[in-house]
Amino acid sequence: MKLINHLVLRISLVFTIVIAFWSAIYFFLQMKEIHDGNDEGLINLKQEFIAKANSISGFVENLENYNPLNIIIKEIPRAEAESMVENLATTSVYFATELEKEEVRMLATAFRCEQNGKYYHLQFFTSTVESDDLIKNMLYLLTGLWITISFTAFIAGKLIITKANKPFYKLLDELKKFRLDNRQMIDFGETNIKEYRQLNESVKKLLEKNIRIFTEQKIFIENTSHELQTPLAIVIAKLEMLLEKYQDNEYHTEEIGRILTILGRMKRLNTNLLLLSKIRNDQFPQTSPVNLREVSEAVLDEFEDLIAYKEITLEKQGTAAPVCRMNEDLAHILFTNLIKNAIAHNRQNGKIIIRYASGSIAIANSGNEAANPVFDRYQHDASNEKSSGLGLSIAQSITGLYQMEMTYHYEQMHVFTLKLPHALN
Amino acid sequence: MKILIVEDEYQLLKTIEDFLLSEKYLVEKATDYYSAMEKTMIYDYDCILLDISLPGGSGLKILEKMKNEGKAGNIIIISAKNSLEDKILGLDLGADDYLTKPFHLSELHARIKAVLRRKQMDGKPVLLQGNLSVDFLQRQAFVENKLLKLNRKEFDMLTFFVINKNRLITKEVLAEHVWGDNIDLADNFDFVYSQVKNLRKKLKDSASGVMIENIYGIGYKMTV
Repeated sequence: MKLINHLVLRISLVFTIVIAFWSAIYFFLQMKEIHDGNDEGLINLKQEFIAKANSISGFVENLENYNPLNIIIKEIPRAEAESMVENLATTSVYFATELEKEEVRMLATAFRCEQNGKYYHLQFFTSTVESDDLIKNMLYLLTGLWITISFTAFIAGKLIITKANKPFYKLLDELKKFRLDNRQMIDFGETNIKEYRQLNESVKKLLEKNIRIFTEQKIFIENTSHELQTPLAIVIAKLEMLLEKYQDNEYHTEEIGRILTILGRMKRLNTNLLLLSKIRNDQFPQTSPVNLREVSEAVLDEFEDLIAYKEITLEKQGTAAPVCRMNEDLAHILFTNLIKNAIAHNRQNGKIIIRYASGSIAIANSGNEAANPVFDRYQHDASNEKSSGLGLSIAQSITGLYQMEMTYHYEQMHVFTLKLPHALN
Repeated sequence: MKILIVEDEYQLLKTIEDFLLSEKYLVEKATDYYSAMEKTMIYDYDCILLDISLPGGSGLKILEKMKNEGKAGNIIIISAKNSLEDKILGLDLGADDYLTKPFHLSELHARIKAVLRRKQMDGKPVLLQGNLSVDFLQRQAFVENKLLKLNRKEFDMLTFFVINKNRLITKEVLAEHVWGDNIDLADNFDFVYSQVKNLRKKLKDSASGVMIENIYGIGYKMTV
């Protein structure tokens, strides 16, 4: 979940709970206030009624005859009157005019009229707010209020948080794009928020340090490999001279031959290391549209003898000739490594299938049955003395340089797929 | 044939010198920028092996000066830098070839021969070896004037052997020369063996006097 949605949802949830709770309290307080007002009115009415009944003769009898709507008077025996307790209650009364029962507030009491000494049972009514309606209305209003507030909170929250977090999201975006081998410092942008400024500064320091170490390491590897070339040249040349000299001696010749073989491996390893660091140091800047099919076929031509010798069946599928903007030499190196890999790890009488599509090239090989079934090509096969294990690293560095994607999967054959994002057709 | 070696690394210089002397060349040496500049300006050489990074200055400067003086040609750059720009720049400045360290002496020899051959365009670009003759221009080989049918790689193998006759060529050196640096595969020993076998058979069938000897399983040597 996105941070902003996380925050806004939580804020909205708190709002909901607070408003719901507050609405309940508000509702009950409001109802109580209304009832208190009504009750006070009823008590006043009662007191006025009793005062008038006591002072005006015939008042009760008249009222008994006319029976006004909001007062019900009924003569009762003294005993009943004395046992009566004044009470206030909410009840409903049928109103013929409205054809329904309405909720009313009723004060029931008893009194003794001083004019005639009779005891009466009195009921005063006042129509009150109907709690159903009130609840309904309040619910509507509160829901409306709740929606408005939540919506506002959501929108405002999102806007405010997004705006306030802009430096943060920018940093995040830049970090996602950041690649150490590009050695390009990211663009931090300006911010007034102290924490974000500190965050940017910390990240900047961290990246600077990493870039520096990476660069130093790259240069170190390049320099070391470079410096190794001359001593290697001397040793190889000297041994070749020795080989000439000791040709009559089988033992010496064989031993020197073996040393030369090992030196050859060392030489290739060193050359590959140099190449790898050059690729990563971006020393192949010139690019041009390269027809990858042509490159691939040219490389296949170079390996023609070896393919024939291993009796490998070569199958080409697809007619596409994807063109990619890249360095031509690197394209050649890339395909050399991929095809070399497909031949080296193939068996006698094996098969290589190359599938050309407009956006991808797949190179599949039947593999070596003798090889470990848990077959990770990205690792150096220790049993293979001649392979430096750097071939695929070189291929990966090249694909990384041009945002190509190289994937490996097993599907009866070992398949390396090259996805070309910048295929120009 | 007079060859100048410009190389600051004494041990390498010495080894190349020994090798070239054994091939009956006349050898001159320069170990820094100034002496190399001086020698190239005063004398003429049939071939110059030029290192680029020299004490006192860059070998490319020497090339430039030579080009300006109209003394260009017959230069093989030998550099530890396998840099494309240097290579292009060097070739633009009139170098004939670019060899990256480390290299094999027999490979160096083949390159020197090629440069010398180009220089002697006026003469016949044909190398004789017993009853075998090799025409580099036409890329054809003959035994007693009869054409020997060879494919591209077999021709490359044959010329490499002919240039380095009586010299032990290891299988790796041969493979690298003929199929390039990329042929560093685990089973290239057998591969090279089968390729040499074909060439040997063709030579034998055409009754050529040259032989490709197998030396203790590590390499081959051409003898007459």
